[in-house]
Order: sequence, then structure tokens, then C-alpha cells
Amino acid sequence: MSTPLRYQDTGEVHLDFHRTTNGTIAYLRQKHGAEFLDDVFRHTAQDVYRSIWDDLKQGDPEQLVTHWTYFTEREKGVYKIEREGNEICFIVLQCPATTYLRNRGIVVDPEFRRQTITMNQAWSEGTPFEISTKITGEDAYVQTIRRVKL
Amino acid sequence: MIPSDHFVRFYNEVFKSLDRKGRVHLVDYWHELGRLQVTELGDRFKTGGLEAAYEYWQRIFLEENCEGEIKLNGDVLELRMHKCPSLSKAMDNDSGAHGLYCDHCMAWVEPVMAHAGLHAVFDMESRTEPHCVMRVTRDKKKAEEFAKHAKLPSTPYIPASLPPR
Repeated sequence: MSTPLRYQDTGEVHLDFHRTTNGTIAYLRQKHGAEFLDDVFRHTAQDVYRSIWDDLKQGDPEQLVTHWTYFTEREKGVYKIEREGNEICFIVLQCPATTYLRNRGIVVDPEFRRQTITMNQAWSEGTPFEISTKITGEDAYVQTIRRVKL
Repeated sequence: MIPSDHFVRFYNEVFKSLDRKGRVHLVDYWHELGRLQVTELGDRFKTGGLEAAYEYWQRIFLEENCEGEIKLNGDVLELRMHKCPSLSKAMDNDSGAHGLYCDHCMAWVEPVMAHAGLHAVFDMESRTEPHCVMRVTRDKKKAEEFAKHAKLPSTPYIPASLPPR
């Protein structure tokens, strides 16, 4: 791993936090609405992961790619990375979060993936990048970082 | 995907956003956490008593990389946290920890214990240092005695006990 991460957890992984995230998303969506939920994700992307956002604003997407890679591997997700021209595609073939929920018989909230979609949008704000999320299957999605400005 | 390792920092942002909207919204969310945890643990603790709670927190201590001790002595389960990984992460955070971060713990523990017929006393000791002591017992009088000696007892559902935002 060449790019240092601001947060790089080690030790045991407590996957059950995905259940709590799912429950929290369901609650906030129903009680406070999608706009409120998005606002929390925006704060998470831009304030908690300020270091990633600062790098993106400087034109460097590598901490974000390392972040995705490190934590997807840590949770034993399946992924591949494709780089071509001004695009980096992080292709998630088996998302550890939705897989964990479904394996436990927990209904995945319809807005569960909003965490990924909104955080990627928030990370792209004020940066030379467009960061999009495409849901490609029950446990699969593609995150694309595309440089749109020099 | 928010990594499970980072749920705590997301949670911390949820607390901040709800508290900004109004303290009542934060407290309502704590009630929801309690409801969810009662669903998950309530009957297990009711049936298995202190032993079930002991087993649960032994696993949590391991999975969440807690630094501390957990002891079951007769009628008292004592969790002594030397370094809480949850508050530690909320503090090791470019966004900063919410001022009532620790209170969410008792906010879900209290309804679970009420459901199980147990009594918990949670001494936060400090809201800005990641150490605390929680004692759980079947004996209400014993719990009241523990509460008398707590340095900073957590009573999240008593509004006057919470510092203003």
C-alpha cells in the first residue's frame, strides 16, 4: 500500500456494525427524510474523511482508492480495479456489507446503498473529479473516479 | 460502503446532526437504538441472565478490540473499560467527537436490562476520556448503591443530567 491512510484499522473486524448502519439508515430515512440522511453522509465524507477529500481537491485520488481497497480486503469482499485513461474503476463483485446482512436474513434497507452513492458525490464536490456509483447487482456495484478537469 | 471499522465515526455524525436539529431528536434516536437492541439481546439476557450478558460482552470485547476487564462475580457483572475503542475512534476523528457520545451506550443498555429484569449502572467517569465502568446486577438495591458511588453516572433519559449542546 503506497498511499498512507488517515484511518487504518487493524485487529478483529466487527461486521455486525453493518446491521446497525442498516437500521440507522432505515430510521433516519423514515423519520427525518432522505435529505437529512444525505446531509449526514455528506458530513461523514467531507469531515470525517477530510484527508481523503483534501487529497481529491489537490487532484490526487489515490488515498480514496487505497481506502476502498484496504477495507474491502479487510472485510473479505471481492473486487477488481481497472485503470484506463482518466478513469479508475473500483468494481465490487461481492460487497461485504450487503452479503453480511443477507446471510443473516436481515432485510437490506432500500436506501442502504445511498451511503456509497452520496459519499462519492460529496467527495467529488470542489475537486477535479466526478465520482459515480453504479449498482450492478444485489451485492455488486462499480465506483468510477473520472478526472473531468485538469 | 462505510467500513464496519468506521461505523462509530458515522454514528458520531448521526448524533451531531440529530442534536443540531434538536435534543429531542437525539433522544428519540437513542430510544430507537434501545428498541433495536432489545430485539437483538432482550430475550437472550432475560433467559440467560447475567451469564448471557457476560458471554455477550466477552465476544464484544474481542470483536471490537476493547482494552479492559470483564468479570462475573456472583450477582455482579463488572465491565471495566481501560480504553474504549468506540470513544477512542470518535475522538481520533478529523470531525471531532459529539459531546454526548458516551451517553448512547447506556441509552441502549438501559432498555435491554429493563426487558431482562436486570439493573445496570454505568459510570462514564468522563465524557472525554475513553474509560468507564459498568456494573450489572439482579439486585436493584445493590445497583442503587453502585449509582451513589459513581463519579459520572450515565442517565441519558433524564434530560437534566445532560449538558447543553
